[in-house]
Order: sequence, then structure tokens, then C-alpha cells
Amino acid sequence: MPTALALTVLGLPFASFAAIALVRPLRRAGRVAGWVSIGAIACAFLAALVVWRSPQGAEALWGWIPADEEPMVTVGVLVDELSGAMLVLVTLVSLLVQVYSLAYLEDEAPPSLGRYYAYQSLFAFSMLGLVLAPTFVQMFVFWELVGLCSYLLIGYWYDRPSAARAAVKAFWITKLGDVGFILGIVLLWAATGTFEFSALFEMARTGQIPLAGLSLTMFLIYLGAVGKSAQFPLHVWLPDAMEGPTPVSALIHAATMVTAGVFMVTRTMPLFELVPGVLTLIVWVGAFTALLAATMACVEADIKRVLAYSTASQLGYMMAAAGAGASAAAFFHLGTHGVFKALLFLAAGAVIHAVGTNDIFRMGGLFRILPRTATVFLIGTLALAGVWPFAGFFSKEAVLAGVLHGHLPGAFVMLALTAFLTAFYMFRVVFIAFFGRPHDVHVHPHEAPPLMAVPLWILAGLTIGIGLRFVVHPAEGEHGPGWLVPLSLGLAGAGFVLAWATYQVRIVSAAALAAMFGPIDYLARRRYGLDALYAGLYRAFILSFSRLVGWVDRYIVDGVLNVLSAWTLRGGDVLRRMQSGQPQDYVYGVAFGVLLLFVWAQFWR
Amino acid sequence: MIFATVMFWAVALALVASSLAVVLTPNLFHAVLYLAAALVATAVVFLLLDAAFLFAVQLLLYAGGIVTVMVFAIMLTERLTGQRLTQTNRHVVNGAVMSFAVFVGVAGFIMRSNATAAAPASADRTLDIARAIVGPFAVTFELLGVLLVAALLGAVYFARTED
Amino acid sequence: MAAPGLSAYLILAALVFTIGLFGVLTRRNAIGILLGIELMLNAVNINLVAFARFEADLAGLVFTLFVIAITVAEVGVGLAIVIAIFRVRRTVDADHLNLLRG
Repeated sequence: MPTALALTVLGLPFASFAAIALVRPLRRAGRVAGWVSIGAIACAFLAALVVWRSPQGAEALWGWIPADEEPMVTVGVLVDELSGAMLVLVTLVSLLVQVYSLAYLEDEAPPSLGRYYAYQSLFAFSMLGLVLAPTFVQMFVFWELVGLCSYLLIGYWYDRPSAARAAVKAFWITKLGDVGFILGIVLLWAATGTFEFSALFEMARTGQIPLAGLSLTMFLIYLGAVGKSAQFPLHVWLPDAMEGPTPVSALIHAATMVTAGVFMVTRTMPLFELVPGVLTLIVWVGAFTALLAATMACVEADIKRVLAYSTASQLGYMMAAAGAGASAAAFFHLGTHGVFKALLFLAAGAVIHAVGTNDIFRMGGLFRILPRTATVFLIGTLALAGVWPFAGFFSKEAVLAGVLHGHLPGAFVMLALTAFLTAFYMFRVVFIAFFGRPHDVHVHPHEAPPLMAVPLWILAGLTIGIGLRFVVHPAEGEHGPGWLVPLSLGLAGAGFVLAWATYQVRIVSAAALAAMFGPIDYLARRRYGLDALYAGLYRAFILSFSRLVGWVDRYIVDGVLNVLSAWTLRGGDVLRRMQSGQPQDYVYGVAFGVLLLFVWAQFWR
Repeated sequence: MIFATVMFWAVALALVASSLAVVLTPNLFHAVLYLAAALVATAVVFLLLDAAFLFAVQLLLYAGGIVTVMVFAIMLTERLTGQRLTQTNRHVVNGAVMSFAVFVGVAGFIMRSNATAAAPASADRTLDIARAIVGPFAVTFELLGVLLVAALLGAVYFARTED
Repeated sequence: MAAPGLSAYLILAALVFTIGLFGVLTRRNAIGILLGIELMLNAVNINLVAFARFEADLAGLVFTLFVIAITVAEVGVGLAIVIAIFRVRRTVDADHLNLLRG
């Protein structure tokens, strides 16, 4: 029963994608296609709720690539608590985002809106397939499909050069990690002979997996997560991915796709547990990413980019928790973050929709003009900053407790510092954009239309509701020492106070603050030179290699052909002279042919 | 036997000599006369091969008809161009080498083939030829008639004056 | 000295044939070339009659008749063409007939 329902969840978005993509009138109708897609994902959401609530897990496998005895590769669905919760998260956020998009993209031409919903449905299908994957191969296939959808949706406004560039950048950089992922999958298969999670976990439990070389294998698999979940040093694509429409950023680049890496690590935790070295690396990379992205968020002026860096930072949190062995905490944070980051993005989208700019310094005083939007943004901010009793507080505390429990004080300090910075940069945005002096905006801001407002309020309600649920029923499991809650609240408070003092009452000068952290400020504004480094590497290696290939093509390949054709021409010219036009010369040819026939008849026959 | 052998060699000598004269003499008119001689020699060869009817045909058609036509053509063109019909040959050495090579090829082939020298009965088989022409070769014979008509028309077409 | 056999006639024919070929290859005058062709056809006739005689096959004789008839046609058409070319180009020289040159 759960497998049939899970297949329904998977099949509905695919059916909607196929319908919109293949039926041309439907696609060109735009809003109708949108409603089809929304209807499909709504039904999928209801089915997902049932799957999540059904107590027993289930697994169904079908052969895909046949081999001698049993299929080499199987496909199917794997339903358990993890995938059930992810199903609900993905379908919920997809549903809300698709409804929201209908208002956000109302100015789009109908055909391109139809294209948008085709991509959205395809993304929902791909992400659900990834979540339900019971084998590494199926996971990889859907992993690449979500990467494709990400590419398509970042480049949705493909006539903008920056969007096209960002799409290509996101695609390439995530592919860099995916190469490692597939190598790791194949290596793991070579060592164990199976792609199936359940079989692999069973082997891991009974110690049948050869440990030699496993560290490398799992590190390669982890690389896929590094690319997809925007971990250092492959995080550079995520801020650029904000060129896509804001709902896309909310869905793909905050709530769902980028968490696929965390999900994968969580899913395959029994395998990672065999290699503590890789786990430690995951913690450190996660903590470092969290801190690094947070510092960059502090100096960013584009509201969406602030949220993008914040996403990278929070993904670092999740990875650190997963690496520290607290995969439950990581997944918990994944869920709550998915909800409140989608909320933040959608609220930011409403703001952008209202004022027509991404630059927070050109906003200001919006709280009075857009009180409802500002309220939901504030709720998201409080949750992200980890303020009691919002959802983020509990998940962040669980993460910190998990890292502390893993005896990684260094990583803990970095994450705690990140918590402080998170509160600082989020309230910086809030104070500048919503409470600062009103900036004379030429367009008259307007509150979000109902189709946008309703998803916002649902997400805001969930953000509070999840928090309140944990107030009423404290989560069982890991709890940090008694000083952890005051510490994290204190850090959030300190960030809030600093942002308030700097950007609201202006006791502290922002310039002086920047001067105090001179080198960090300098580096953060330049994104630590990583983009420049990648651009330099790209120019140095890829471009020069392309030039080399181009040179080879132009001068060697074309040259050979030119020489051949020139020789053909010249040969024809020479042979032309044989055609003297004298009949008797042709008779020579005939006589010579007769001679040859005789010689052949006498000597070679 | 001796007579036949002597005749063969004599006729062969005459044939080869007149053939050479045909291709070597500078005067085209003389060449045609030598051709007539060569054709008569060929007719004698036919006679040696017991083909009396063909001997007659050869004399009448070739030596009588074709040579006459050739002479007419030469006289006509000479009158048209007003030039002497003495002429030089081109690339004699090349032609000689190539011709000799072909001869060696053919002769070598004949020598190797070990033709059986049978001496069957000889009779005047003119009646047989007539039966064959209207019997098994009747269709070919009729087609030949068509060919001759076509050639006649073609010759008339090509040689007529433009008026 | 035995009576000349098939080979003797064949070699005689080959000799005449190659002399004709020589004429075709070397004559400048178009009528001269036609004379060479006549020699070659004659050689073929000798072959046919010789085979008819020594293989006791009537077909050789019949074919000789046909060849003679075809030769007549060929000469008629060939000479007509020569005269037509004369009329147009005022020359009999095959060296000048090179419209086919590549």
C-alpha cells in the first residue's frame, strides 16, 4: 500500500509534466498549465501525507538492467520515515511555490509560463524520485535530473546573459561534484557488487564491506553532496543561481534540491559510519562552509544573495551535524530550514515584486508600507536566527548539541560563531529594508496578491507551529548540556543587538565595524577570491584547452582536408591534360588495355 | 601440299607488304591503291581457306566497292581543300612500339594456345552459307539490313550540303 | 614442310591487325585512319574464315559476311562524317579535331 501510494506521488507530477510538455495547446495556455501542475502536486501532497503517516516502511524493487542471474541494476521505491518526511516537505513546498508563482509570474507570456510549469512538474518528479530511490543508480539518475531542472529554471529568463551564464555555472560546478559521485558509486559497486541501499546496509552491519579503499569511495560519493549542497569549495554556484525567478530559488535552491546532498549523506549514513575520517572531514567542511558563507552574507546588498549565502551556511550546519553522527538532527534542521527558508525567499520575492529591486539599500521603511509581508519575513528571520519558540531554534539547538556530542569543539565554536553571524546578517536585512529611513521608491509598493500571500501565511504558520509543537512535546533524543540553550539564545540576541545598534539606531558605525574586521570584510566582499579563482582556472585551463582544440581543428583537421582537396584539384588538373581530345590518343589507351588483358590472360590467370 | 604452302607464304608476304605500304606511304591516294592490293591478297587467303564465296564477296565489295568510295572521298576532299594529299605520320615510334607490343601479346597468346591443326573436308559450302543466313541467322541478317538502311540515311544526312 | 595450320593464319591475321593499328595510331589524315581500320577488320575476317575452316564451323563464314556488310556501312558513314567535317573545318587533320580535350 505505501509503495503504491509512493508511486502515485511520483507519477502525478510526471503525468503533469508529460501533459504540459507534450500537449502544445496546454503548454501555450500558460495559466491552465499552471493549474494542471498545481492540481497534480496537490494530489501528490495529499498522498505523501498518507505515506508519511503510515507507520510501516516498505520497499519495492523491479529489475532494470538485466544480468546473468539477477538484475544488475534495480529501480523501485523505498518508503521509510526519512523518505516519507522528505516527500511531504518536497510536495508541500512545491505546491506552495507553484501557487505563489502563478501570481509572481503573472506578467510572463503564456507559452513561457507553460514552459515554467513543465519544468516545475519535472523538478517535482525528479526530486521525489531522488527521495524514493532505493538504489544508488536510481538516486544518481534523479540527482542529475534535478540538476537539469535547476539548470533549466535558473536559465528560465534565458535571454538575460547573466541568467544563462549562471545556469551554465551552476550546471558545471555541480557536475564537478557529480563526477566524484558516480565514480564513488561504481567503486562501491566494484567492492560490493550491489547498488541497493538495503543490501549495502546489511553488508555494512555484518561487516562484509571491505574497508580497504572505502574511505576514498565514500569521499568521492561525498563530493556529489559537496557540489549539490553548495559546500566549500563548490558553493560558488548557489549565489549566482539567484538569477532564476525567486520562487525557483525558494523551491530548488533553498528548500529541496540543495538539501539532496544532506539527504544523501543521511540516507547512506550506515556506509559513512564505516569511515570516521570522511565523517570528520564532512564536519569540518560543513562548519567552515557555514562560517564562510555567513561572513559573505554580512556584506551582501542583494537580498536574494544574502538568503543564498544563508542557505549555504545552513547547509553547512546540516552537513556538520550529519558528519558528527547526529543525522537525525541534520534531517530535522533540513526540514525546518526547508520551511522557513522557503518562507524567507517567498517573502523576499513579494518584496522584490513590490518594489522592483533586489538591493536592500534601495528599500527601507517597508514595514509601514507592506506590514503583512514584513511580518512573515520577520517570522522567517526569527526562525533562521534561532529564536525561541520558532522552529529554527529547536533544530539549530539539536545540531549544536549533536556536534558537541561528537566531541568536535572546534567545529562547535565555528557553528556558534555562525549562529551569531546569522542573527546579525538577517537582522541587518530586516533593519535596512523594513525599518530604515524610507527610500524614495518610484514604483508604489503594493501588498502581495492573495495567491502569493496565502502560501506565505501557510509557511509562516508552519514555522511557528512546528516550534510550538516542540515547546509542547520536547523532542526526545539528543540534548546538549544546560548551558547550550542560553548560549545559542545569547548569540542570537547579540547578533540582533549588534545589527540593531549598527543599522537602526546607528550607535555603531557600519564603516567602523567593517574597518575593525578589515581583512575579513575585504575578503568577504570579494567572496574570498573563489569566484575569481574559478574564473582564472576556467580561463587558464578550459579556455586555453578550448583554444588548443580550436587551433587543432582549424589548422590540423581543416588543414588536412584543405591539403587533400587541393591535391584532388591539382590531380584533376594533371589528369585533365590526359584528355587531349585526340581520338588517336584514346586508341593508345584502348590498345594498352588490350595489351594488359593479354598479359593478364597469359601470366596471371 | 607444297603448292598450298608456297601459295600461303607468297600471299602472306604480299598481304603484309601491301598492308605496310598502306600505313607508311605518304600519298593517301597510293595508300588506297595499296589497300586494294591488300584486300585482294586477303581474298586470295580466303580462297586458300576454301571459302570461294567469300573470295568473291571480298573482291566485289571491298576491292570493287569500298575502294571506289574511298577514292571518291579523297578526290572530293582534295578538290574542296585544294591541298596535296601527301601527308606525314605522327609519333611513328610510339605507334610502332605499341603495335609491336600488341602483336607480341596476341602472337604469344596464339602460340601458347596449341591450336589443333585439323584438316577437315573442303567443299563449296556456298549453299550451306545461304541456308544458314536464312535459317539460324535470319534475324541477324534482317537486322543487318536495318543497319545498312540506317547507315545509308546517316551517310546522306552527314554528306548533304547545308541548303 | 607441313601445310600452314590454324596458327599460321592467326599470326598472319595478328600481323595485319597490328599493322592496321599502327596506321590508326599514326595517320594524321582522317581517311588514313579509316584505311587502318579497314586493315584491322580484314584481319578479323581472316581469323573468322580460318576458324571456320579449321574448326569446321559455318558460323565463321556467315559472320565474315556480316562483318563485310557492317564495314561497308561503317565506311559509308565514316566518309560522310569526314566530308561533313571538311565542309565545316576545312581540314582533314585529326590533330585539329580536339574538341574533346579536357
